[in-house]
Amino acid sequence: MSLAIHTEVKEQPPTTPATETSGELKAKVSVRNLNFYYGDFRALVDNNVNLYKQKVTAFIGPSGCGKSTLLRVLNRIYDLYPNQRAEGEVLLDGENVLSAAQDVNLLRAKVGMVFQKPTPFPMTIYDNIAFGVRLYERMSKSELDARVEDALKRGALWDEVKDKLDASGLSLSGGQQQRLCIARTVAIRPEVILLDEPCSALDPISTAKIEELMDVLKQDYTIAIVTHNMQQAARTSDYTAFMYLGELVEFDETGKIFTNPKEQRTQDYITGRFG
Amino acid sequence: MALNSTNALYARRRWRNKIATMLSIGAAGFGLTWLVLILLVLVVKGVGGLSPSVFTEMTPPPGGAGGLLNPIIGSLMLTVLAVAFGTPLGILAGTYMAEYGRYAKLTEVVRFINDILLSAPSIVVGLFVYEIMVAQMGHFSAWAGAVALAIIVIPVVVRTTEDMLLLVPNTLREASAALGVPQWLVIRHVAYRAARAGIITGVLLAIARITGETAPLLFTALNNQFFSWDLNAPMASLPVVIFQFALSPYDDWQQLAWTGALLITVAVLGLSILARVLSSKKVLS
Repeated sequence: MSLAIHTEVKEQPPTTPATETSGELKAKVSVRNLNFYYGDFRALVDNNVNLYKQKVTAFIGPSGCGKSTLLRVLNRIYDLYPNQRAEGEVLLDGENVLSAAQDVNLLRAKVGMVFQKPTPFPMTIYDNIAFGVRLYERMSKSELDARVEDALKRGALWDEVKDKLDASGLSLSGGQQQRLCIARTVAIRPEVILLDEPCSALDPISTAKIEELMDVLKQDYTIAIVTHNMQQAARTSDYTAFMYLGELVEFDETGKIFTNPKEQRTQDYITGRFG
Repeated sequence: MALNSTNALYARRRWRNKIATMLSIGAAGFGLTWLVLILLVLVVKGVGGLSPSVFTEMTPPPGGAGGLLNPIIGSLMLTVLAVAFGTPLGILAGTYMAEYGRYAKLTEVVRFINDILLSAPSIVVGLFVYEIMVAQMGHFSAWAGAVALAIIVIPVVVRTTEDMLLLVPNTLREASAALGVPQWLVIRHVAYRAARAGIITGVLLAIARITGETAPLLFTALNNQFFSWDLNAPMASLPVVIFQFALSPYDDWQQLAWTGALLITVAVLGLSILARVLSSKKVLS
């Protein structure tokens, strides 16, 4: 049975995995036979996984298992560095984003990403949000103001910063900075949001805020989150993928992964026997 | 064993610490002494010659009365021109090295050559420009002086621009790229902004460096007894005038040389302090 999940996902994507009863589940992103290399090192081995529309998919696994690497393939952020290459397919609405013809900037506008460490730009809070928006849309000042306000509200940050939009983004606390980064990502209206350990540098209160945020955001977006915190994966996600040494070991509904995993390695990791 | 000052190991460590501290303070004091002495001598010798006429009159013939107006203006013009040539070139080259060509072989080659240029004796730069400009044109000119100074500015600006851009964390570049921002906008709006104070500091230090350069000007802008706006003609500058007047046997020329030296030193000191203040300012915009 050990390869059953692989085969299911691979062969009958994306609408009807055996585990899903409702017929409405649609894969926004489909990863097929993905291999990834840092130079000669093969960091991802034949990964197959789907991100479903309006669902949160969590990626768990011990450090160095390739969770972040997989996320970094989905918006081709790895393209910034030489000696990193991906083989296989990543289908976004059926289009392979790994093809050379793909415009990476347009891809990244559609597939937003929030990083482990908050990365506010060295500009005002307002400009942190407006910067990305201005790139792809021409709008009046009042429209832009409304867009910034909307994004900050979605980032659950508006009440804290509405009186100091001209302050530097760097003046905010760590948790606020991370919510600013989420707001910034939401502001350009992506279709998919990738969160790479977004709470690992945050205190429990900020973490709770961001988890609430994910719950709201998933109504409009497809979300993937990498996390080291298994409670967080269990709390926030609908689907969970367990990765180990570059392999995608198991992918299923979160409830099943945490209560009744099919793979021994998944069970061992979940129960804290290794990792 | 209880840890107290009678513990032999600890006592020895405290002694070593004391000795190292004293040596460091001594070395710092030694360096500082000379700087203070130089400033003191300059002030003592130079202040006596400070008067309004220094800033309003031309350099005098031997025995006559005069000031330093033409070399002051000349130095300012040469510096402005050199910075106008050198800064854009230096910033663009540094940007290539840190951003577009960070992993390129060419960058390593350019960095190596730039480092050589950075420490090239300035008299070599002067001779080089003499050969390619002065000898070709048949006469000394302010243009040639400005080019020689620009050649000194470029490697300083290249180096600081590259260094400062490399200090901008990659996470910031990734974060902007993740919004779909094209690379040149990432550089313009994020990397430059984050590195701005450092780059400006580099330019200020380059200005401070060329303000006192004499050798490259001796072969290029030469000197001019009179005031001149003509960039095709020789132009006076403070370092060259100081060089010429200080070597002369005339008391009033020597006095003007001291005063000129004081002016240059104060200007360089001011620029360095400004650079210091700017680079200590962390949060921008």
